[in-house]
Amino acid sequence: MSNPEFRRNLWLSFSPHRLIGMPALLALTFTAVALANSGDQVANGLYAASTSIFIFIVWLWGARNANATIVDELRDKTWDQQRMSALDPWAMTWGKLFGSTSFNWYGGLMCVAVIAASGYAADKTDVITTLLSLCAVGVLLHAALIALNLHSAQFQSRFVQRGGMGWLVIILVFMVLPPFTINQTTPILWWGMETERALFWLDSAVLFAACATFAAWRVVSNALQVRTLPWAWPAFACILAVYFTGFVSGSGLHTLLLTGLFVAVTMTYAALLTEPSTLVRWHKLRLLQQKEDWRGWLEHLPLWPTTLALAFLFAILGMLAPGEGGLEQGHMDFLRPQHGLAIALMLLRDACVLLFFAFSPNSKRAVGTAILYLVVLNMLLPFLAGVAGLNTLRYFFLPFEAAHDPWSSVLIMTIHAAIAIGLVNWRLRTAGQQ
Amino acid sequence: MIEISNLTFDYPGHRALNDVTLTVPSGSVTALVGPNGAGKTTLLRCIAGLETPLTGSIKVAGMDVIEQPREVHRIMGYLSDFFGLYQDLTVARCLEFAAASQGLPNADIPAAIERTAQRLDLTDRLQQTSGSLSRGLRQRVAIGQAIIHQPKMVLLDEPASGLDPEARASLAALFRQLQADGMTLLVSSHILAELDEYSTHMLALREGRILENRELKPAHLPDAPRHLHLELAQPDARLPEWLKAYAQVALKGASEGHAEFDLQGDLHAQAALLKALIHEGFAVSSLAEHKENLQESYLRTVAAHEESRQ
Repeated sequence: MSNPEFRRNLWLSFSPHRLIGMPALLALTFTAVALANSGDQVANGLYAASTSIFIFIVWLWGARNANATIVDELRDKTWDQQRMSALDPWAMTWGKLFGSTSFNWYGGLMCVAVIAASGYAADKTDVITTLLSLCAVGVLLHAALIALNLHSAQFQSRFVQRGGMGWLVIILVFMVLPPFTINQTTPILWWGMETERALFWLDSAVLFAACATFAAWRVVSNALQVRTLPWAWPAFACILAVYFTGFVSGSGLHTLLLTGLFVAVTMTYAALLTEPSTLVRWHKLRLLQQKEDWRGWLEHLPLWPTTLALAFLFAILGMLAPGEGGLEQGHMDFLRPQHGLAIALMLLRDACVLLFFAFSPNSKRAVGTAILYLVVLNMLLPFLAGVAGLNTLRYFFLPFEAAHDPWSSVLIMTIHAAIAIGLVNWRLRTAGQQ
Repeated sequence: MIEISNLTFDYPGHRALNDVTLTVPSGSVTALVGPNGAGKTTLLRCIAGLETPLTGSIKVAGMDVIEQPREVHRIMGYLSDFFGLYQDLTVARCLEFAAASQGLPNADIPAAIERTAQRLDLTDRLQQTSGSLSRGLRQRVAIGQAIIHQPKMVLLDEPASGLDPEARASLAALFRQLQADGMTLLVSSHILAELDEYSTHMLALREGRILENRELKPAHLPDAPRHLHLELAQPDARLPEWLKAYAQVALKGASEGHAEFDLQGDLHAQAALLKALIHEGFAVSSLAEHKENLQESYLRTVAAHEESRQ
């Protein structure tokens, strides 16, 4: 075995006891299920039981182990040794991804054999597709957790160190887990193409598993000081935009651009709130800019400006694209192309609000403080103004209403963004004087 | 071996390293000294490529640490001040993992484990899990992991903290052996006595700046002046003037009963001086060479720095 990280994980995961224990326990469980059912129901019972056990062993338990592979390194202070190794980022990524979950895959593969056998015995359709989807979601979960934990490790938060990211992802996955629990046979309409439901979920699972593995590799690369250019984050936003727009019936260019805008906005907020935005990083960028080292500048750029720029791009393209614009249906049909630009400006303002607090001398709770102020600015103040009947004032805080000229929302958000940029500039000037 | 120029490193609200420029010669053992918060750990982490500085460049064996961190890691070993071990792995497997992850070919790994275990007196412990070892033994395993690939350069951050006197003595012997094998060592500590035994150079840091970076006086250079202390049993007012007039003496300080001076020459010159003193009628009770230890050297440097600031 040439990958030391994979080998180390095998040493830790397997012992003679575990090696025998897992198949013995599974055999006993499946025997019990077979005995509890009779006749035609045996295959159905085994199929359901093995699928559930696979989900438990690979998805849940595997997610816990994938989560621990980073959390334990950080907690036990072995991460520096890993970063000092001569392993290349890809070797370390797959070593962690499949090494930390090797015992789960060991049990999972036995379940796969039972799923396949019982599935065919029970004349189930899409057995192979279901199996591959189950495995792809497993890889997706594990890779996403490695990427998320390493990305958030920069914050050195107790939430991450206690493995909170794992629980968060597991909860999210089970909230959006329809394909394996809903037994629907109706095809899925995506970008006007009718696709078999099971096949579509397999394609989706494989796509996102590949994206998550790629993300894990990128984050591991950065942790190992192998610098990368920041194209992957906005590229993922584009993939998501195309993917989600495909579900909107009759979707056209405007829907794509608007979906892209919302995806870019969401991803910008996600990056803003999970990346440390320190004055030190800002100084580093300014020095690289002065040296005209543009490659270095891009390598040190946080993720959020890339999707912020993408949000502006989608907003401007939405205004330039021919046609009526906006969503043709649903409760957001009031949105005009100019509103897209206003949303991008609002995003810029919110980013500046966070930077304003992050650049303060006491910046330990910058994210929490910024979130509090943004809730006040975006929700509480418009609500209070509305309740008080001050509709003009409400529109000044949240300028998205069908009754007004959409250009006025652009103007108002430009003023908001200009004030926020001014505050950040003031903070930078005062920081420079200290 | 290490060339650092204009290195500046900031933590939020605090400049840890301020325009540091230095070189560390090959084959040296450099004691990195300074008070807590001087920037020692940050400097080591920057050299190890674990932190990216704000400005400046770091080269190790001609390779840029910022541009080629992975290549530098192949020729470098690093022991962090808060090191960790894989508690559930045996010592042998900890060493095997370290060797393999540093790129040693599989065929060379058993020999590397044996060699490292012998060096660190861990041969009897190879099958014990690292979590079951004492603090001193765990420290040895961590050092073993840092040196198993026989790096050209080893960075050690507070390697002796928490060790008993016996373990410290064996650590000093190990460092001397590593130096003899051609490795360059950069060892940080604020316990200077432990560095005194094996350091050839001193790099003093304070508030992120270099106070001094120099070679410690070699012990046996024939032409080097010898720093001597003279004590008289019976004070004699003639002593300062007499010593001033002695050709090979450069007087540093003297009273009627005591003198400190540099003597140009070897032990024969010292014997000749003693003979002359006795012949002149001075009641000499002691004439001995005084070697400045690292602590005195560091404190003298700090005192000179404080004086220059006033």
